[in-house]
Amino acid sequence: MVDSLQMALTNLLTPAILFFLLGFAAGWFKSDLSVPEGAAKTLALVLMLSIGFKGGVEAARAGMSPDFLKAAGVGLILSFGIPVIAFAILRVISRLDRTTSAATAAHYGSVSIVTFVAGTEFLRVSGVPFGGYMVAVVALMETPAILSALILAGGGAAGRQGLRGDLFREVALNGSVVLLIGAFLVGMLSGEAGMSKMEVFVGPVFQGILVLFLLDMGLVAARRLSAARSLTVPLIAFAIFMPLLSSVLSLGLSLAMGLSPGNAAVLAILAASASYIAVPAAMRIALPDADPGVYLTLSLAVTFPFNLVFGIPLYTAAAAALLG
Amino acid sequence: MQLSKRKKLEIIVEAPVLRGVEDFLAEAGVRGWTVLPSLAGSGDGGGWRSGHYTPGQEKRLIFALVTAEVAERVLERLADFFADYPGVVAVSDVEVMRGEKF
Repeated sequence: MVDSLQMALTNLLTPAILFFLLGFAAGWFKSDLSVPEGAAKTLALVLMLSIGFKGGVEAARAGMSPDFLKAAGVGLILSFGIPVIAFAILRVISRLDRTTSAATAAHYGSVSIVTFVAGTEFLRVSGVPFGGYMVAVVALMETPAILSALILAGGGAAGRQGLRGDLFREVALNGSVVLLIGAFLVGMLSGEAGMSKMEVFVGPVFQGILVLFLLDMGLVAARRLSAARSLTVPLIAFAIFMPLLSSVLSLGLSLAMGLSPGNAAVLAILAASASYIAVPAAMRIALPDADPGVYLTLSLAVTFPFNLVFGIPLYTAAAAALLG
Repeated sequence: MQLSKRKKLEIIVEAPVLRGVEDFLAEAGVRGWTVLPSLAGSGDGGGWRSGHYTPGQEKRLIFALVTAEVAERVLERLADFFADYPGVVAVSDVEVMRGEKF
């Protein structure tokens, strides 16, 4: 208990979280502080490249582990399954139509790469070891949720209009995932020798980039929240309760599969996270009738800040208590 | 100056479906078009603003000059498309230079 409180406090007082909160406050009070859009995209690319590369080098160092296949299996089950649960809950507690419920459910089954980046940084700082191959698990967990949501919605417009190719490109060839997995492979192939060339970039510089990126995320999350029109109390409760439920499911599966506490913590963070880049864009193609004012606001402006500030240390402490 | 009567198509769609709509234009026989970015807007789906994080909701304007016959084919395909997707189509009569190119 003291440990988990200590963990939560450690997380709250890191520059990353404090700058996120600064951005959030600035956005909420309508400051003109902003990170230019092109710069924000560049920062995101640096994050994907660094985290993928580091994961690849670590995976090459540790060799193939049976934990990878187990974690991948758990990740796939969660990504397919969480939307079904989220959809059922939304249909009961809210008045959202079927399509918007399905689209929202897809966001919660898929993952947020930035939450993964912040979560793994937290684990590194807290000294909790996890497999570098978890980067590959992130990529596996992006897409199945979209398929589940399409089934829940009873098909989408993309098939009718011959836009399946565009949907596939948006999902499978999504720039973040291509760079993340590409950098993971580069890291695996170049190994320690590659790391010695890249260590300043993916090490010390990475922290600064992450902090600046989270400052921008704080700004956009607060602006999104203050502009929200379609939020109701049940929906906000869903956006906080759903990640907790997903992390509990994930920890249960990890326990059953005998995963290490570090890998279980990463999986719980991924299960709890909700997509706000790849899935919203995919949903504009797949389910154009669904309301982005609901799904994007919930995942970006409620669930992301909740996970970043409270969720990550909570899931990590729970994984340590349950599997440690 | 020799001017020819043509139709001007202005089509606004969301960025993720742009390629699909460009494919429709090519299939309908449109010989050329230009795509422009947009900064902000408002409509049935609420407002959006570039840089305010609205993945998938950014709009693109497609500008094309075509013959009346090609315009008819494009509109037929788009009528079906806009039954499912948000967007705007406007057609106007214009006079263009070098009409043989359109």
